[in-house]
Amino acid sequence: MNGEGRTRLPYLAAAAAMTAYCIGPIVFMALTAVSRRPDFLSPGAGLEFTAAHFLEVLRTKSLHFLEYFRNSLVVSAVSAALSVSVAAPAAYAITRLEVPGRTAVLFSALAVSMFPQVSLVGYLFRLMTSLGWINTYAALVLPYTAWILPLSLWILTSYFSSVPRDLDRAALIDGCGPLEALRKVIVPVAAPGIFSTALLAFIFAFNELLFALMLTTDHHARTIPVGVALFEGLHGEIPWGAVMAAATLSTAPVVALTLLFQRRIIQGLTRGAVKE
Amino acid sequence: MGGDRTIRETLRGWAFLAPLAVFILGFVFVPVAGTFIDSLHREVTFLPRAFIGLGNYRSLSSDPWFWQSLRFTVLFVLVSVPLELVLGMAFALLLHRPSRARGALRACVLLPWAVPAAVSGRVFELVCNFQYGPANYIAERLGLTVGPVNWLGSAWGAFFALVAGDTWKTAPFVAVLFLAGLSAIPGDLYRQAAVDRAGPLQRFTRITLPLLRPVVVVALLFRTIDALRVFDLVFVLTRGGPGGSTTSLSLYGYDAFAGGDVGYGSAVSVVLFLVAFALSAAYVRIGRFGRGLS
Repeated sequence: MNGEGRTRLPYLAAAAAMTAYCIGPIVFMALTAVSRRPDFLSPGAGLEFTAAHFLEVLRTKSLHFLEYFRNSLVVSAVSAALSVSVAAPAAYAITRLEVPGRTAVLFSALAVSMFPQVSLVGYLFRLMTSLGWINTYAALVLPYTAWILPLSLWILTSYFSSVPRDLDRAALIDGCGPLEALRKVIVPVAAPGIFSTALLAFIFAFNELLFALMLTTDHHARTIPVGVALFEGLHGEIPWGAVMAAATLSTAPVVALTLLFQRRIIQGLTRGAVKE
Repeated sequence: MGGDRTIRETLRGWAFLAPLAVFILGFVFVPVAGTFIDSLHREVTFLPRAFIGLGNYRSLSSDPWFWQSLRFTVLFVLVSVPLELVLGMAFALLLHRPSRARGALRACVLLPWAVPAAVSGRVFELVCNFQYGPANYIAERLGLTVGPVNWLGSAWGAFFALVAGDTWKTAPFVAVLFLAGLSAIPGDLYRQAAVDRAGPLQRFTRITLPLLRPVVVVALLFRTIDALRVFDLVFVLTRGGPGGSTTSLSLYGYDAFAGGDVGYGSAVSVVLFLVAFALSAAYVRIGRFGRGLS
């Protein structure tokens, strides 16, 4: 386009600044995790590599890091799977069946995603206590699923409505029931969209803090964000190397997913938000 | 017969929607209703539950810490949301430009969004650290400060640390939304503008911004509500300190719950809920209004 050469240098500088801004804190976290001293930036300190912080986090039994990690993976994976399987038939009904009140469903789902989490958590705490479910996976999976459902519903509705209607109409004419049409026609065609939805749902559940903080008490159900948030030293001084090692390990899964599926995530995030 | 089919289809549709309704009713609407009811009760550990009407709200109105947290929350929204929108717009414009590195750039920009707020809170805690933090290192190199500053030890320092942490994590999300909006603008418009010798600034204000308006409203809505209910970052980075100066409404409610006063925490939560609700309704109005005009 016009003036490309003239604007190339400012563009490169701005793009470099943006990249540094975005990945700077992440790089700093990873460097602190592998540095012998947390103050490697100050004059005269220098960066001296060590794996000690990672080993400490992984090996110290009383930190329960691996258990938090397992809890997080299980809770997020189950919540994501559950929310997608609940949202898929709903999205089918909204896009394919003449159901009265379907716009009301879509918009109440949108309203739900605007609710502050703190306005649920006090009651959920009392509910889970009375059920005896505090500190169990169920105490997290059920609220997480409900919490992620609006997002899943909006994204899936958007994907399903872009599947040509003739495809499943043909299946219905061939004698399939709607559930079969959903399973055999729409799900395979919209599989990339369903995958993106599940991915976003997983990341949202994996990063959740407030519910996990209130509804779990120890390593039997506690998740990574709570572990990282409450990681303090035994002797007053915060062991920054170990904290950043734990932070790096807990960020690794979501960062890997983001890098691998960048395109899908961006597509999922913008579906429903930008399109009508 | 047609009527029969419609009824059958309606029933089937409701059956498909039922699991979703059960989850959202059971784990969102019922808890919110429960919070409203709890806020009208004395619901304190070791004390019998008692209906006290608006008692909790009366206590709130004369509680200086509640007003402080309301003030902080509003200020936080007013400062961080515009920053995030401006930065997000700049990122989106950069990402929109055709370049060989576009895929890699997009991935980099998406990373902060994916990092758990608990993690970014800890990272910014270290960044602002008095002894080890790069914030001091950079500020001193740039000649902005003399000697180390205890950022998290002062009310203003802590406030800006929170704004910086929130902006870092959420500007990318805004950028992604704007980017989708930008890609939907037909390139012909810009080509025509180039023929008409419109400068870059004119092109931005005359073409980009007006066409992006619906997306801007959506981003503004999402970000305002999210900043209003901020909890994770505040809990991890400042824990509301120093001296309660950065306690958000969500954190104030949580602190009441954690301290065993569910009734009082519920009252705080209801106030936050109502503010968020009123704002979303207002934005939806504004959004519709804008669409009606164009």
